Amino acid sequence: MKKAGLRVRVIAGFAAGALALSATLALVSFQVIRQSLLSERERTAVRAAYYDAAIVWSGLGSQEVGSLLRTLDTGDSRRAVLYRDGEWYSRQADTGVTDAIPVALQREAGDGIPSVQRVRAEGRAALVVAVPLSPTAVFYEVDSLQELDHTLGVLTAVLTAVAVSVAALGALLGWYASRYVLRPLTRVADAAQEIAGGAGKYRLDPAAEPDLARLTTSFNHMVDELQARLERDRRFAADVSHELRSPLQTLANAASVLERRRDQLDARTATAAGLITDEIARFQHLVNDLLELSRGDRPATRAPVDLPELARRVCRDHRISPDIVTLSGPATWCVDRGRVGQLMGNLLENAQAYGGGAVAVRLALTASTGRIEVDDEGPGVSPDDKPVIFDRFVRGRSANARADSAGTGLGLALVAQHAAAHGGTASVHDRPGGGARFRVELPECAP
Amino acid sequence: MAVPPGKTGGMSAVLVIEDDDRIRLSLVLALEDEGYAASGAPTAEEGLAAQRRQPADTVLVDLMLPGVDGFECIRQLRRSDDVPIVVISARDDTHDIVAALEAGADDYLVKPLAVKELTARLRALRRRARVALADEPPVLRFGDLEISPEAGEVRLHGEAVAVTRTEFQLLCELGEHPGRVLSRQQLLQRVWGYDGGDERLVDVHVGRLRQKIEDGSGAPKHLVTVRGLGYKLQR
Repeated sequence: MKKAGLRVRVIAGFAAGALALSATLALVSFQVIRQSLLSERERTAVRAAYYDAAIVWSGLGSQEVGSLLRTLDTGDSRRAVLYRDGEWYSRQADTGVTDAIPVALQREAGDGIPSVQRVRAEGRAALVVAVPLSPTAVFYEVDSLQELDHTLGVLTAVLTAVAVSVAALGALLGWYASRYVLRPLTRVADAAQEIAGGAGKYRLDPAAEPDLARLTTSFNHMVDELQARLERDRRFAADVSHELRSPLQTLANAASVLERRRDQLDARTATAAGLITDEIARFQHLVNDLLELSRGDRPATRAPVDLPELARRVCRDHRISPDIVTLSGPATWCVDRGRVGQLMGNLLENAQAYGGGAVAVRLALTASTGRIEVDDEGPGVSPDDKPVIFDRFVRGRSANARADSAGTGLGLALVAQHAAAHGGTASVHDRPGGGARFRVELPECAP
Repeated sequence: MAVPPGKTGGMSAVLVIEDDDRIRLSLVLALEDEGYAASGAPTAEEGLAAQRRQPADTVLVDLMLPGVDGFECIRQLRRSDDVPIVVISARDDTHDIVAALEAGADDYLVKPLAVKELTARLRALRRRARVALADEPPVLRFGDLEISPEAGEVRLHGEAVAVTRTEFQLLCELGEHPGRVLSRQQLLQRVWGYDGGDERLVDVHVGRLRQKIEDGSGAPKHLVTVRGLGYKLQR
């Protein structure tokens, strides 16, 4: 299960805390109020019952029990019952109220012990007060607690509402607090995103949030370090390649002299000279590719380019018939001419080295996305190679690949980099009918 | 050097100003092999003196030189000469390239370069120098701007304007197609002989030309940029 976000947890925590607190308070106050109301009610009921019992006791013997009970002023809520010599007497005709009097209470009252008990009579809460008048007569009064029940019901509703509102308020407070507390973190996240997006200059202001100064300072420090390390790596590659340039220039010049005099050399020396010349050419290519890679994070400088014209020129440069270039959609694309030219050249070189030469170069501009495809009829790219083929220094592992001795192992890495500089992608697919299909997609190419 | 600088028979003279002894020596050897009368100078000062003594047809300049640097060397050469200047540098960031072109260089090549590549560039520079002299159309007039391809002269308000050979060739290409837009690639092809090259070459040269043939107030009047397409010359 996905873990809930910090914010959700903070809000839930605040809400739960508020709910627990308010529920406890509500429960305690409910109990206290209920207890005090009940005992108050009990006292009243007992007092009234004793008063009535005194009237009944004084009238017993002189009056008929039914009319004696009827003289009592019991109101709506109280019902008086007299148990005398095994007979029940009540004011009203119905004696159902006697069922509500617990047997244990009757027994105790029969023993001459007065008592009070809460019961349920006819489904309603009631209070039974037993007052023994004589060894054979007990006066009972059943007092309805309906009113108190109602009051307690209202109280319960009010307290529940209060508890829920407090919980909601807690959640709101949690939301606000989390937002407030998380705001600096959001800024850090935004900054991280900016930096990941290439805005290396982005820094946080430690003064903006003194409590988080350590975080912002460490964050800035980390970004500085990262930036410096990236710069160091980039510069190292550039410096190394750069430093190689001067000796390479001398070698290239000297090789050119050797090359020119090749026919004056004996066969062995000529072969050696040829090897040197070829390897120097490859070395140059490698150094240039490395330098190009080390400059990779520069964005593409887009301008309108006649792409079929560029593609045909690149084909001619690679001694491939420009007729293999086909176009669908507009001819003018808004791309970095140098980068796209190099990208196509590298794809053609790759096809030459591993796929027996390119057989089709397809250009298509649809809905502002430009697509360049280079097909070959070689053995294709094995599934193992596909995920890594655009990495540096990865060469095809196919058994029958005729590795070009001039290859640097950086060509496809540069293709991917040039595509990325345009915000695009490079991928390799199987060509229907055999061979590999390299595809580069460049967004926002519409001029 | 065995062959003195300057025009020697039919051979084209090339002066190499490069502080790295090995590169200079090997470059001179390779260029001599390719049929050029090459000579070398290890510093800008010596190079400038050699060029004054006996002007070469083309000067190759490294940017990182001890003492007077390559940029200053190009500026000083330009002050007195319209000789084609090709920068040969290990530095290839945009800033350096543009600065060298703005100082007055005609072209640049990044080390390590193949000698064949260099000689192809030198031939292209020579060719256009000849084309400019061989063409014989009448004077091209664009309002107060006059171009005489035959005489190799540019006049603004009747006064001669000093332009380099490359600038002149650029002006002629545009002037021969009045009002028509030429793309940067077309200009690279026609003026520099590049089949697909760095378009900054065109942009910087246009900028340099504008300083000379526009009155400098407001938008360019004659040499106009057509956004997304290229440049054209108009009245």
